[in-house]
Amino acid sequence: MLELRGLSKHFGGVKALDGLDLSVREGEIFGLIGPNGSGKSTAINLICGVYAESAGTVRFSGQVMNGKAPHERLRAGIARTFQNIRLFPNLTVWQNLWVAQNSPRDVAAQGFLSRWFGATRRTRRELAELLELADLGHKGDELASNLAFGEQRRLEFARAAAARPRLLLLDEPAAGMSRQEIEDLGGRIRGLRDSGVTILLVEHVMELVMGVTEQIAVLNFGKKIAFGTPGEVQRNEAVQEAYLGTSASDSGAAGEGA
Amino acid sequence: MDDYVITVLSNIGMISFVALSAYLLLLTGVISFGQQAYFGLGAYAAGAATAMLLLPIWAGILIGACVAGLMAALVGALTLRLRGLYFSISTLAFAEMVRLVLLIVEVQVEVDGELVGPAGAEGFHDIRWMFERDISLGEFMLLIYALLALVLVALLLIERSRLGSIFRMLGSDDLLADMQGLNVVGYRVLAAGLAGVLAGIGGALYAHFTTYVEPQFFNVMLGVHALAYGLIGGLGTAFGPLIGVAIDVGFLEAVRFIQGYRMIVFGGLVALLLIFMPRGLLDEERVHRLKARFRRRGDAHAAGS
Repeated sequence: MLELRGLSKHFGGVKALDGLDLSVREGEIFGLIGPNGSGKSTAINLICGVYAESAGTVRFSGQVMNGKAPHERLRAGIARTFQNIRLFPNLTVWQNLWVAQNSPRDVAAQGFLSRWFGATRRTRRELAELLELADLGHKGDELASNLAFGEQRRLEFARAAAARPRLLLLDEPAAGMSRQEIEDLGGRIRGLRDSGVTILLVEHVMELVMGVTEQIAVLNFGKKIAFGTPGEVQRNEAVQEAYLGTSASDSGAAGEGA
Repeated sequence: MDDYVITVLSNIGMISFVALSAYLLLLTGVISFGQQAYFGLGAYAAGAATAMLLLPIWAGILIGACVAGLMAALVGALTLRLRGLYFSISTLAFAEMVRLVLLIVEVQVEVDGELVGPAGAEGFHDIRWMFERDISLGEFMLLIYALLALVLVALLLIERSRLGSIFRMLGSDDLLADMQGLNVVGYRVLAAGLAGVLAGIGGALYAHFTTYVEPQFFNVMLGVHALAYGLIGGLGTAFGPLIGVAIDVGFLEAVRFIQGYRMIVFGGLVALLLIFMPRGLLDEERVHRLKARFRRRGDAHAAGS
Protein backbone atom coordinates (compact mmCIF):
# COMPACT_ATOMS: atom_id res chain seq x y z
CA MET A 1 0.00 0.00 0.00
CA LEU A 2 2.84 2.38 0.88
CA GLU A 3 6.04 2.04 -1.11
CA LEU A 4 9.16 4.06 -0.41
CA ARG A 5 11.98 3.75 -2.93
CA GLY A 6 15.38 5.29 -2.30
CA LEU A 7 13.77 8.00 -0.21
CA SER A 8 16.34 10.59 0.89
CA LYS A 9 16.33 13.93 2.62
CA HIS A 10 19.42 16.08 2.98
CA PHE A 11 19.58 19.17 5.15
CA GLY A 12 22.68 20.89 3.85
CA GLY A 13 25.38 18.29 4.33
CA VAL A 14 23.37 16.20 6.81
CA LYS A 15 21.73 13.13 5.37
CA ALA A 16 18.72 12.83 7.65
CA LEU A 17 17.36 10.03 5.52
CA ASP A 18 19.54 8.16 3.06
CA GLY A 19 17.95 5.92 0.47
CA LEU A 20 15.16 4.31 2.48
CA ASP A 21 13.27 1.43 0.87
CA LEU A 22 10.15 0.30 2.64
CA SER A 23 6.88 -1.32 1.81
CA VAL A 24 3.88 -1.41 4.09
CA ARG A 25 1.12 -3.88 3.21
CA GLU A 26 -2.54 -3.04 3.44
CA GLY A 27 -4.06 -3.79 6.84
CA GLU A 28 -0.86 -4.29 8.81
CA ILE A 29 0.65 -2.46 11.75
CA PHE A 30 4.17 -1.59 10.71
CA GLY A 31 6.76 -0.38 13.21
CA LEU A 32 9.55 2.07 12.44
CA ILE A 33 12.12 2.36 15.20
CA GLY A 34 15.63 3.62 15.73
CA PRO A 35 17.69 5.78 18.07
CA ASN A 36 17.08 9.53 18.34
CA GLY A 37 18.02 11.36 15.17
CA SER A 38 17.95 8.23 13.02
CA GLY A 39 15.46 9.71 10.54
CA LYS A 40 12.10 8.33 11.69
CA SER A 41 10.34 11.68 11.97
CA THR A 42 11.94 12.81 8.72
CA ALA A 43 10.43 9.74 7.05
CA ILE A 44 6.98 10.63 8.37
CA ASN A 45 7.32 14.23 7.26
CA LEU A 46 8.30 13.07 3.78
CA ILE A 47 5.39 10.65 3.54
CA CYS A 48 2.79 13.24 4.52
CA GLY A 49 4.36 15.99 2.44
CA VAL A 50 5.70 18.46 5.01
CA TYR A 51 9.16 18.18 3.49
CA ALA A 52 10.05 17.79 -0.15
CA GLU A 53 12.28 14.77 -0.73
CA SER A 54 15.84 15.22 -1.99
CA ALA A 55 15.63 11.96 -3.91
CA GLY A 56 13.47 8.87 -4.21
CA THR A 57 9.75 8.28 -4.48
CA VAL A 58 6.76 7.93 -2.20
CA ARG A 59 4.07 5.74 -3.71
CA PHE A 60 0.70 5.31 -2.05
CA SER A 61 -1.67 2.65 -3.39
CA GLY A 62 0.07 2.84 -6.73
CA GLN A 63 0.00 6.62 -6.98
CA VAL A 64 3.19 8.69 -6.89
CA MET A 65 2.86 11.28 -4.14
CA ASN A 66 5.98 13.34 -4.89
CA GLY A 67 5.20 17.03 -5.20
CA LYS A 68 1.72 16.75 -3.70
CA ALA A 69 0.76 19.16 -0.92
CA PRO A 70 -0.12 17.76 2.52
CA HIS A 71 -3.84 18.43 2.01
CA GLU A 72 -3.84 16.47 -1.24
CA ARG A 73 -2.15 13.55 0.50
CA LEU A 74 -4.73 13.60 3.27
CA ARG A 75 -7.46 13.41 0.70
CA ALA A 76 -5.66 10.47 -0.87
CA GLY A 77 -5.91 8.82 2.56
CA ILE A 78 -2.74 9.59 4.54
CA ALA A 79 -3.27 11.08 8.02
CA ARG A 80 -0.90 11.50 10.93
CA THR A 81 -0.48 12.40 14.57
CA PHE A 82 2.38 14.33 16.13
CA GLN A 83 5.18 13.57 18.52
CA ASN A 84 4.50 16.77 20.43
CA ILE A 85 0.74 17.11 20.56
CA ARG A 86 -0.55 19.46 17.91
CA LEU A 87 -4.15 20.59 18.27
CA PHE A 88 -6.00 23.81 17.66
CA PRO A 89 -5.97 25.14 21.23
CA ASN A 90 -8.45 27.93 20.55
CA LEU A 91 -11.10 25.64 19.13
CA THR A 92 -13.33 23.35 21.14
CA VAL A 93 -12.82 19.61 21.18
CA TRP A 94 -15.87 19.20 19.00
CA GLN A 95 -14.67 21.79 16.47
CA ASN A 96 -11.27 20.11 16.33
CA LEU A 97 -12.98 16.93 15.18
CA TRP A 98 -15.49 18.66 12.94
CA VAL A 99 -12.93 20.38 10.75
CA ALA A 100 -10.89 17.18 10.51
CA GLN A 101 -13.56 15.50 8.39
CA ASN A 102 -12.00 16.01 5.00
CA SER A 103 -12.02 12.59 3.41
CA PRO A 104 -13.51 12.55 -0.10
CA ARG A 105 -16.39 10.48 1.27
CA ASP A 106 -17.27 13.14 3.83
CA VAL A 107 -16.82 15.97 1.37
CA ALA A 108 -19.27 14.28 -0.98
CA ALA A 109 -21.73 13.37 1.76
CA GLN A 110 -21.79 16.72 3.52
CA GLY A 111 -22.85 18.85 0.58
CA PHE A 112 -22.10 22.54 0.15
CA LEU A 113 -24.16 24.05 2.97
CA SER A 114 -23.43 21.59 5.72
CA ARG A 115 -19.79 21.43 4.71
CA TRP A 116 -19.23 25.12 5.21
CA PHE A 117 -21.96 26.04 7.65
CA GLY A 118 -24.03 23.81 9.93
CA ALA A 119 -23.35 20.17 10.72
CA THR A 120 -25.88 17.61 9.53
CA ARG A 121 -27.49 15.23 11.99
CA ARG A 122 -25.36 12.43 10.58
CA THR A 123 -22.17 14.41 11.15
CA ARG A 124 -23.24 15.11 14.73
CA ARG A 125 -23.91 11.45 15.34
CA GLU A 126 -20.57 10.37 13.87
CA LEU A 127 -18.64 12.92 15.87
CA ALA A 128 -20.47 11.95 19.05
CA GLU A 129 -19.41 8.35 18.42
CA LEU A 130 -15.80 9.40 17.90
CA LEU A 131 -15.89 11.41 21.13
CA GLU A 132 -17.34 8.42 22.98
CA LEU A 133 -14.64 6.14 21.57
CA ALA A 134 -11.97 8.56 22.76
CA ASP A 135 -13.58 8.76 26.22
CA LEU A 136 -14.15 12.46 25.65
CA GLY A 137 -17.94 12.29 25.46
CA HIS A 138 -18.56 14.98 28.06
CA LYS A 139 -15.70 17.26 26.92
CA GLY A 140 -17.03 18.30 23.52
CA ASP A 141 -17.51 21.96 24.43
CA GLU A 142 -14.17 22.41 26.20
CA LEU A 143 -11.38 24.32 24.51
CA ALA A 144 -8.71 21.86 23.42
CA SER A 145 -6.15 23.81 25.43
CA ASN A 146 -8.05 23.04 28.65
CA LEU A 147 -7.73 19.27 28.29
CA ALA A 148 -5.33 17.18 30.35
CA PHE A 149 -2.32 15.67 28.60
CA GLY A 150 -3.80 12.21 28.18
CA GLU A 151 -7.06 13.66 26.89
CA GLN A 152 -5.20 15.75 24.33
CA ARG A 153 -3.44 12.61 23.10
CA ARG A 154 -6.77 10.83 22.75
CA LEU A 155 -8.24 13.83 20.94
CA GLU A 156 -5.35 13.79 18.49
CA PHE A 157 -5.98 10.13 17.87
CA ALA A 158 -9.71 10.70 17.41
CA ARG A 159 -9.03 13.57 15.04
CA ALA A 160 -6.82 11.37 12.90
CA ALA A 161 -9.63 8.81 12.81
CA ALA A 162 -12.15 11.53 11.85
CA ALA A 163 -10.23 12.04 8.62
CA ARG A 164 -11.03 8.39 7.69
CA PRO A 165 -7.47 7.66 6.59
CA ARG A 166 -6.44 4.49 4.83
CA LEU A 167 -2.94 4.90 6.20
CA LEU A 168 -2.29 6.46 9.61
CA LEU A 169 1.19 7.62 10.59
CA LEU A 170 1.62 7.65 14.36
CA ASP A 171 4.65 9.66 15.48
CA GLU A 172 5.60 8.53 18.99
CA PRO A 173 2.04 8.40 20.29
CA ALA A 174 3.11 6.89 23.63
CA ALA A 175 5.57 9.66 24.56
CA GLY A 176 4.97 10.71 28.15
CA MET A 177 2.29 8.11 28.81
CA SER A 178 1.91 5.92 31.87
CA ARG A 179 2.03 2.13 31.55
CA GLN A 180 -1.73 1.93 31.78
CA GLU A 181 -2.25 4.62 29.16
CA ILE A 182 0.14 2.77 26.85
CA GLU A 183 -1.89 -0.41 27.20
CA ASP A 184 -5.03 1.57 26.42
CA LEU A 185 -3.31 3.11 23.39
CA GLY A 186 -2.28 -0.34 22.14
CA GLY A 187 -5.94 -1.34 22.23
CA ARG A 188 -6.97 1.76 20.30
CA ILE A 189 -4.34 1.15 17.63
CA ARG A 190 -5.49 -2.45 17.16
CA GLY A 191 -9.10 -1.32 17.10
CA LEU A 192 -8.37 1.18 14.35
CA ARG A 193 -6.50 -1.43 12.32
CA ASP A 194 -9.40 -3.85 12.68
CA SER A 195 -11.66 -1.18 11.20
CA GLY A 196 -9.47 -1.27 8.08
CA VAL A 197 -6.77 1.35 8.64
CA THR A 198 -3.16 0.51 7.84
CA ILE A 199 -0.80 1.85 10.49
CA LEU A 200 2.79 3.01 10.44
CA LEU A 201 3.98 3.37 14.02
CA VAL A 202 7.10 5.33 14.91
CA GLU A 203 7.83 4.76 18.56
CA HIS A 204 10.52 4.64 21.24
CA VAL A 205 8.49 2.72 23.77
CA MET A 206 9.44 -0.87 22.93
CA GLU A 207 6.63 -2.37 24.99
CA LEU A 208 4.13 -0.82 22.60
CA VAL A 209 6.08 -1.52 19.40
CA MET A 210 6.79 -5.16 20.23
CA GLY A 211 3.22 -5.65 21.40
CA VAL A 212 1.23 -4.39 18.43
CA THR A 213 3.36 -4.45 15.28
CA GLU A 214 3.68 -7.26 12.76
CA GLN A 215 6.72 -5.98 10.89
CA ILE A 216 9.45 -3.64 12.04
CA ALA A 217 12.10 -1.68 10.20
CA VAL A 218 15.02 -0.25 12.17
CA LEU A 219 16.75 2.96 11.14
CA ASN A 220 20.13 4.27 12.18
CA PHE A 221 21.82 7.37 10.76
CA GLY A 222 19.19 7.64 8.07
CA LYS A 223 19.64 4.08 6.80
CA LYS A 224 17.63 0.94 7.27
CA ILE A 225 19.77 -1.50 9.26
CA ALA A 226 17.25 -4.25 9.93
CA PHE A 227 13.83 -5.49 8.96
CA GLY A 228 11.65 -8.33 10.19
CA THR A 229 9.15 -9.49 12.78
CA PRO A 230 9.46 -8.08 16.31
CA GLY A 231 11.24 -11.26 17.45
CA GLU A 232 13.75 -11.19 14.58
CA VAL A 233 14.53 -7.54 15.11
CA GLN A 234 15.11 -8.02 18.84
CA ARG A 235 17.67 -10.74 18.15
CA ASN A 236 19.42 -8.73 15.41
CA GLU A 237 23.00 -7.85 16.34
CA ALA A 238 23.18 -4.66 14.31
CA VAL A 239 20.09 -3.39 16.11
CA GLN A 240 21.50 -4.13 19.54
CA GLU A 241 24.68 -2.35 18.58
CA ALA A 242 22.81 0.68 17.28
CA TYR A 243 20.89 1.04 20.51
CA LEU A 244 23.61 0.11 23.01
CA GLY A 245 26.42 1.70 21.09
CA THR A 246 24.95 5.18 21.10
CA SER A 247 24.82 7.70 23.95
CA ALA A 248 23.50 6.74 27.35
CA SER A 249 20.30 8.76 27.01
CA ASP A 250 19.40 7.06 23.75
CA SER A 251 19.87 3.53 25.03
CA GLY A 252 18.02 4.56 28.17
CA ALA A 253 15.03 5.72 26.19
CA ALA A 254 15.07 2.56 24.12
CA GLY A 255 15.53 0.29 27.09
CA GLU A 256 12.74 1.89 29.09
CA GLY A 257 9.95 -0.20 27.68
CA ALA A 258 11.90 -3.29 26.70
CA MET B 1 -28.47 64.60 18.20
CA ASP B 2 -26.48 67.37 16.63
CA ASP B 3 -24.54 66.95 13.44
CA TYR B 4 -21.24 66.62 15.26
CA VAL B 5 -22.35 63.60 17.28
CA ILE B 6 -23.91 62.07 14.18
CA THR B 7 -20.68 62.55 12.27
CA VAL B 8 -18.60 60.91 14.99
CA LEU B 9 -21.01 57.99 15.27
CA SER B 10 -21.12 57.60 11.50
CA ASN B 11 -17.34 57.61 11.36
CA ILE B 12 -17.25 54.88 13.98
CA GLY B 13 -19.68 52.88 11.88
CA MET B 14 -17.81 53.33 8.61
CA ILE B 15 -14.36 52.70 10.07
CA SER B 16 -15.79 49.55 11.68
CA PHE B 17 -16.10 48.01 8.24
CA VAL B 18 -12.36 48.39 7.63
CA ALA B 19 -11.65 47.10 11.13
CA LEU B 20 -13.79 44.01 10.48
CA SER B 21 -12.07 43.58 7.15
CA ALA B 22 -8.62 43.51 8.76
CA TYR B 23 -10.02 41.31 11.55
CA LEU B 24 -11.23 38.65 9.14
CA LEU B 25 -7.75 38.35 7.68
CA LEU B 26 -6.14 38.39 11.12
CA LEU B 27 -8.35 35.42 12.03
CA THR B 28 -6.80 33.43 9.22
CA GLY B 29 -3.34 34.38 10.41
CA VAL B 30 -2.29 36.94 7.84
CA ILE B 31 -1.50 40.57 8.52
CA SER B 32 -2.60 42.96 5.83
CA PHE B 33 -1.45 46.57 5.83
CA GLY B 34 -3.50 47.22 2.73
CA GLN B 35 -7.19 47.03 3.58
CA GLN B 36 -7.48 50.79 3.01
CA ALA B 37 -7.01 50.09 -0.70
CA TYR B 38 -10.30 48.18 -0.83
CA PHE B 39 -12.00 50.87 1.21
CA GLY B 40 -10.78 53.34 -1.41
CA LEU B 41 -11.74 51.16 -4.37
CA GLY B 42 -15.19 50.68 -2.86
CA ALA B 43 -15.55 54.43 -2.40
CA TYR B 44 -14.52 55.28 -5.95
CA ALA B 45 -16.55 52.50 -7.55
CA ALA B 46 -19.69 53.33 -5.58
CA GLY B 47 -19.23 57.04 -6.22
CA ALA B 48 -18.86 56.42 -9.93
CA ALA B 49 -21.98 54.27 -9.94
CA THR B 50 -24.27 56.85 -8.36
CA ALA B 51 -22.72 60.15 -9.50
CA MET B 52 -21.59 59.24 -13.01
CA LEU B 53 -23.93 56.43 -14.01
CA LEU B 54 -26.82 57.77 -11.91
CA LEU B 55 -27.59 54.38 -10.41
CA PRO B 56 -29.46 54.05 -7.11
CA ILE B 57 -27.49 53.87 -3.87
CA TRP B 58 -28.03 50.15 -3.26
CA ALA B 59 -26.51 49.46 -6.67
CA GLY B 60 -23.63 51.74 -5.78
CA ILE B 61 -22.92 49.92 -2.54
CA LEU B 62 -23.24 46.56 -4.28
CA ILE B 63 -20.87 47.62 -7.04
CA GLY B 64 -18.42 49.06 -4.52
CA ALA B 65 -18.47 45.83 -2.50
CA CYS B 66 -18.07 43.64 -5.60
CA VAL B 67 -15.23 45.66 -7.13
CA ALA B 68 -13.34 45.69 -3.84
CA GLY B 69 -14.06 42.02 -3.15
CA LEU B 70 -13.01 40.79 -6.59
CA MET B 71 -9.88 42.91 -6.53
CA ALA B 72 -8.99 41.64 -3.06
CA ALA B 73 -9.51 38.01 -4.10
CA LEU B 74 -7.42 38.55 -7.22
CA VAL B 75 -4.59 40.23 -5.33
CA GLY B 76 -4.89 37.55 -2.63
CA ALA B 77 -4.59 34.76 -5.19
CA LEU B 78 -1.36 36.34 -6.41
CA THR B 79 0.17 37.19 -3.04
CA LEU B 80 -1.16 34.75 -0.42
CA ARG B 81 1.42 32.15 -1.35
CA LEU B 82 3.94 34.47 0.25
CA ARG B 83 4.61 33.82 3.90
CA GLY B 84 4.27 36.14 6.89
CA LEU B 85 6.10 39.39 6.51
CA TYR B 86 6.50 39.02 2.74
CA PHE B 87 2.75 38.93 2.33
CA SER B 88 2.30 41.95 4.62
CA ILE B 89 4.77 43.97 2.58
CA SER B 90 3.04 43.00 -0.65
CA THR B 91 -0.32 44.23 0.70
CA LEU B 92 1.29 47.53 1.58
CA ALA B 93 2.83 47.80 -1.86
CA PHE B 94 -0.49 47.09 -3.57
CA ALA B 95 -2.34 49.62 -1.42
CA GLU B 96 0.17 52.32 -2.24
CA MET B 97 -0.12 51.40 -5.90
CA VAL B 98 -3.88 51.85 -5.78
CA ARG B 99 -3.52 55.19 -4.04
CA LEU B 100 -0.96 56.45 -6.55
CA VAL B 101 -3.05 55.30 -9.50
CA LEU B 102 -6.09 57.08 -8.07
CA LEU B 103 -3.93 60.22 -7.79
CA ILE B 104 -3.54 60.35 -11.58
CA VAL B 105 -6.77 58.85 -12.86
CA GLU B 106 -9.00 61.45 -14.46
CA VAL B 107 -12.24 60.16 -15.88
CA GLN B 108 -15.01 62.72 -15.94
CA VAL B 109 -18.39 62.72 -17.56
CA GLU B 110 -20.91 65.50 -17.95
CA VAL B 111 -23.96 65.21 -15.75
CA ASP B 112 -26.50 68.05 -15.87
CA GLY B 113 -23.95 70.35 -17.46
CA GLU B 114 -21.30 69.65 -14.82
CA LEU B 115 -18.22 67.50 -14.99
CA VAL B 116 -18.31 64.67 -12.45
CA GLY B 117 -15.79 61.94 -11.76
CA PRO B 118 -12.37 61.21 -10.30
CA ALA B 119 -10.05 64.13 -10.98
CA GLY B 120 -6.67 62.80 -9.92
CA ALA B 121 -5.18 64.50 -6.90
CA GLU B 122 -8.21 66.79 -6.69
CA GLY B 123 -10.24 63.81 -5.62
CA PHE B 124 -13.72 62.76 -6.64
CA HIS B 125 -16.21 65.51 -5.81
CA ASP B 126 -19.95 65.91 -6.02
CA ILE B 127 -21.13 62.46 -5.02
CA ARG B 128 -24.39 64.20 -4.24
CA TRP B 129 -26.79 61.32 -3.82
CA MET B 130 -27.75 62.39 -0.29
CA PHE B 131 -28.43 66.01 -1.19
CA GLU B 132 -30.34 65.27 -4.34
CA ARG B 133 -32.72 63.14 -2.34
CA ASP B 134 -32.72 65.40 0.67
CA ILE B 135 -31.54 62.69 3.03
CA SER B 136 -30.33 63.90 6.41
CA LEU B 137 -27.11 62.85 8.09
CA GLY B 138 -29.14 61.08 10.76
CA GLU B 139 -30.98 59.00 8.21
CA PHE B 140 -27.74 58.10 6.51
CA MET B 141 -26.31 57.09 9.87
CA LEU B 142 -29.19 54.66 10.26
CA LEU B 143 -28.30 53.16 6.88
CA ILE B 144 -24.69 52.77 8.01
CA TYR B 145 -25.68 51.00 11.19
CA ALA B 146 -28.27 48.83 9.50
CA LEU B 147 -25.61 47.56 7.10
CA LEU B 148 -23.10 47.18 9.92
CA ALA B 149 -25.60 45.09 11.87
CA LEU B 150 -26.21 42.95 8.81
CA VAL B 151 -22.49 42.41 8.29
CA LEU B 152 -22.00 41.66 11.97
CA VAL B 153 -24.74 39.03 11.98
CA ALA B 154 -23.19 37.46 8.88
CA LEU B 155 -19.77 37.38 10.54
CA LEU B 156 -21.14 35.91 13.76
CA LEU B 157 -22.88 33.20 11.74
CA ILE B 158 -19.65 32.46 9.89
CA GLU B 159 -17.80 32.22 13.20
CA ARG B 160 -20.21 29.57 14.42
CA SER B 161 -19.90 27.66 11.16
CA ARG B 162 -17.36 25.12 10.02
CA LEU B 163 -15.90 27.78 7.75
CA GLY B 164 -15.30 29.96 10.82
CA SER B 165 -13.50 27.13 12.58
CA ILE B 166 -11.39 26.62 9.48
CA PHE B 167 -10.45 30.32 9.41
CA ARG B 168 -9.38 30.10 13.04
CA MET B 169 -7.41 26.93 12.33
CA LEU B 170 -5.41 28.72 9.64
CA GLY B 171 -4.68 31.43 12.16
CA SER B 172 -3.40 29.12 14.83
CA ASP B 173 -1.46 26.52 12.81
CA ASP B 174 -1.60 26.59 9.03
CA LEU B 175 0.72 23.63 8.49
CA LEU B 176 -1.51 21.47 10.68
CA ALA B 177 -4.55 22.70 8.75
CA ASP B 178 -2.83 21.69 5.53
CA MET B 179 -2.09 18.23 6.92
CA GLN B 180 -5.75 17.89 7.79
CA GLY B 181 -6.75 18.21 4.20
CA LEU B 182 -7.51 21.91 3.95
CA ASN B 183 -6.29 23.99 1.05
CA VAL B 184 -4.71 26.79 3.05
CA VAL B 185 -4.15 29.21 0.18
CA GLY B 186 -7.66 28.63 -1.16
CA TYR B 187 -9.36 29.40 2.14
CA ARG B 188 -7.19 32.47 2.64
CA VAL B 189 -8.10 33.79 -0.81
CA LEU B 190 -11.75 33.32 0.15
CA ALA B 191 -11.16 35.23 3.40
CA ALA B 192 -9.33 37.98 1.50
CA GLY B 193 -12.26 38.30 -0.91
CA LEU B 194 -14.77 38.55 1.92
CA ALA B 195 -12.53 41.06 3.70
CA GLY B 196 -12.40 43.10 0.49
CA VAL B 197 -16.20 43.11 0.33
CA LEU B 198 -16.40 44.42 3.91
CA ALA B 199 -13.91 47.22 3.27
CA GLY B 200 -15.68 48.02 0.00
CA ILE B 201 -19.03 48.49 1.73
CA GLY B 202 -17.38 50.84 4.21
CA GLY B 203 -15.81 52.83 1.40
CA ALA B 204 -19.06 53.03 -0.54
CA LEU B 205 -20.83 54.46 2.51
CA TYR B 206 -17.98 56.85 3.17
CA ALA B 207 -18.05 58.28 -0.34
CA HIS B 208 -21.76 59.08 -0.01
CA PHE B 209 -21.52 60.37 3.52
CA THR B 210 -18.79 62.92 2.82
CA THR B 211 -19.86 63.55 -0.83
CA TYR B 212 -16.26 63.52 -1.96
CA VAL B 213 -13.28 61.22 -1.67
CA GLU B 214 -9.63 61.82 -2.27
CA PRO B 215 -6.78 59.31 -2.51
CA GLN B 216 -5.01 60.91 0.43
CA PHE B 217 -7.59 59.54 2.84
CA PHE B 218 -6.71 55.95 1.94
CA ASN B 219 -3.15 56.16 3.14
CA VAL B 220 -1.41 53.51 5.13
CA MET B 221 -2.46 54.94 8.51
CA LEU B 222 -6.03 53.81 7.88
CA GLY B 223 -4.81 50.26 7.27
CA VAL B 224 -2.56 50.28 10.33
CA HIS B 225 -5.40 51.55 12.50
CA ALA B 226 -7.69 48.87 11.12
CA LEU B 227 -5.19 46.24 12.22
CA ALA B 228 -4.76 47.86 15.62
CA TYR B 229 -8.51 47.78 16.26
CA GLY B 230 -8.55 44.01 16.00
CA LEU B 231 -5.49 43.69 18.20
CA ILE B 232 -6.91 46.01 20.87
CA GLY B 233 -10.40 44.56 20.87
CA GLY B 234 -9.27 40.97 20.58
CA LEU B 235 -9.74 38.26 17.99
CA GLY B 236 -12.17 36.10 19.95
CA THR B 237 -15.29 37.58 18.36
CA ALA B 238 -16.27 40.10 15.71
CA PHE B 239 -17.29 42.48 18.52
CA GLY B 240 -13.59 42.81 19.40
CA PRO B 241 -12.55 45.12 16.56
CA LEU B 242 -15.73 47.18 17.04
CA ILE B 243 -14.68 47.85 20.62
CA GLY B 244 -11.30 48.88 19.24
CA VAL B 245 -12.91 51.41 16.88
CA ALA B 246 -15.18 52.73 19.61
CA ILE B 247 -12.19 53.26 21.89
CA ASP B 248 -10.12 55.04 19.26
CA VAL B 249 -12.63 57.15 17.34
CA GLY B 250 -15.26 57.45 20.07
CA PHE B 251 -13.30 57.91 23.24
CA LEU B 252 -10.50 59.97 21.79
CA GLU B 253 -12.95 62.13 19.89
CA ALA B 254 -14.87 62.68 23.11
CA VAL B 255 -11.84 64.02 24.91
CA ARG B 256 -11.00 66.63 22.34
CA PHE B 257 -8.65 68.61 24.55
CA ILE B 258 -5.97 65.98 23.94
CA GLN B 259 -6.56 66.21 20.20
CA GLY B 260 -2.97 67.10 19.39
CA TYR B 261 -1.73 64.15 21.39
CA ARG B 262 -4.22 61.72 19.97
CA MET B 263 -1.72 59.50 18.21
CA ILE B 264 0.50 59.47 21.28
CA VAL B 265 -2.37 58.43 23.52
CA PHE B 266 -3.53 55.85 21.00
CA GLY B 267 -0.04 54.45 20.61
CA GLY B 268 0.40 54.28 24.37
CA LEU B 269 -2.93 52.54 24.75
CA VAL B 270 -1.98 49.93 22.18
CA ALA B 271 1.38 49.38 23.87
CA LEU B 272 -0.22 48.95 27.31
CA LEU B 273 -2.81 46.55 25.98
CA LEU B 274 -0.25 44.46 24.19
CA ILE B 275 1.75 44.19 27.41
CA PHE B 276 -1.14 43.28 29.70
CA MET B 277 -3.52 41.60 27.27
CA PRO B 278 -1.41 40.41 24.37
CA ARG B 279 -4.38 38.86 22.62
CA GLY B 280 -6.68 41.85 23.07
CA LEU B 281 -9.66 42.57 25.29
CA LEU B 282 -11.89 39.80 23.98
CA ASP B 283 -9.56 36.91 23.17
CA GLU B 284 -10.76 33.39 22.41
CA GLU B 285 -10.29 32.17 25.97
CA ARG B 286 -12.39 35.00 27.44
CA VAL B 287 -15.06 34.72 24.76
CA HIS B 288 -15.32 31.00 25.42
CA ARG B 289 -15.79 31.59 29.16
CA LEU B 290 -18.39 34.30 28.54
CA LYS B 291 -20.30 32.01 26.20
CA ALA B 292 -20.17 29.17 28.73
CA ARG B 293 -21.55 31.50 31.42
CA PHE B 294 -24.40 32.66 29.21
CA ARG B 295 -25.21 29.10 28.31
CA ARG B 296 -25.29 28.04 31.95
CA ARG B 297 -27.53 30.95 32.84
CA GLY B 298 -29.76 30.02 29.93
CA ASP B 299 -29.93 26.42 31.13
CA ALA B 300 -30.70 27.47 34.71
CA HIS B 301 -33.39 29.75 33.40
CA ALA B 302 -34.91 26.98 31.30
CA ALA B 303 -34.80 24.58 34.24
CA GLY B 304 -36.40 27.13 36.56
CA SER B 305 -39.34 28.00 34.34
